[in-house]
Amino acid sequence: MNHFVKGNPDLCIGCRTCMIGCVVAHEGLHIFEVDPDSYNFNPKLSVIKTAAITVPVQCKHCENPACMAVCPEKCIHLEKDAVVVDTDRCIGCKTCVMACPYGAIEIVPDSRNRVQIDGSPRMIANKCDLCIHSKRGPECVRVCPTEALTLVTEEDLEKEAADKRIAAAKALAEMNGA
Amino acid sequence: MMMDSSSFVAADSSRCTGCRACEVACFAAHNGGLGYTVGTVGVPVTARLYLTRVGNLCMPVQCRHCENSPCLNSCTAGAIRREEGSIVIEEAACIGCKNCMMACPFGAIELVPVYREGRRIMQQGGGEQRKTAHKCDLCIKNDGQACIEACPNQALVLVNPKEDLKEKRRQAAMALALTKGV
Repeated sequence: MNHFVKGNPDLCIGCRTCMIGCVVAHEGLHIFEVDPDSYNFNPKLSVIKTAAITVPVQCKHCENPACMAVCPEKCIHLEKDAVVVDTDRCIGCKTCVMACPYGAIEIVPDSRNRVQIDGSPRMIANKCDLCIHSKRGPECVRVCPTEALTLVTEEDLEKEAADKRIAAAKALAEMNGA
Repeated sequence: MMMDSSSFVAADSSRCTGCRACEVACFAAHNGGLGYTVGTVGVPVTARLYLTRVGNLCMPVQCRHCENSPCLNSCTAGAIRREEGSIVIEEAACIGCKNCMMACPFGAIELVPVYREGRRIMQQGGGEQRKTAHKCDLCIKNDGQACIEACPNQALVLVNPKEDLKEKRRQAAMALALTKGV
């Protein structure tokens, strides 16, 4: 089963450290030395604030990824339990953006400031890759000051479901007077 | 620097009845009103979207106005440009090389014969009719999109990626509030 990072709205304080950590993990520390107005800041998760809650939203690395199924260029693939975009081949057609029910993919200008034949910036589909390039795992999880982000693995999910079934069984047994 | 993705028209196959009203409206909108009444069309009806049938599926397919448009980037004549969030072909500059048609992964570009005011436009130095690449331009010269307005069953919508993302992310955030166990 694919892994994913999940935000907890009870713990999130909306500080957006996860968004900065994400960009640093993918682009390096040089982002602190460039002119902010000329730099394309492209975090792969977004902190959503509503009247009721604050929480980062990002890719769920679906088991049957809709984005992967609809990509006409076949540039979305599964790698190390993550759904990953090959941005060099992305044509920016927005079909994945439309297919994703989480709003987890966005078309953004390339951070390396590459341009197209008409001089306009090269655009890429930007989404969470679970930091599969890094040994430290997802940077957003690591940098969150309130531990509001968790990497969820197959074992975590199975254990939670099993624990819930045990609790449900015990509750039923109690009801039946055992 | 933040850049909004271009909007595009997308069809809902569950609503499309295959009536081709979108195709006729597209043709009429780009040909000065030809085709609004019977007997006014003396040229081939060339729509910029294509009703596509496959198995039980029936829906029009058209340009996504890609952000890294393969058509624009493959055009050797510089005949494809960005204009008001739309990828547009300048028909007078098109040399008919078919690169854009091959580069487009959606089949959204066709080469069509050129007519002006009902008359065939011929090539210079050849006896053949001029042809041009032809695609959806989101009706940027008009208000709204002719295909969307003409659809009797609301099967076509203008997708605005920014608004789409905003709503989906709000829903995803609410869902996270219900799945706090793990």
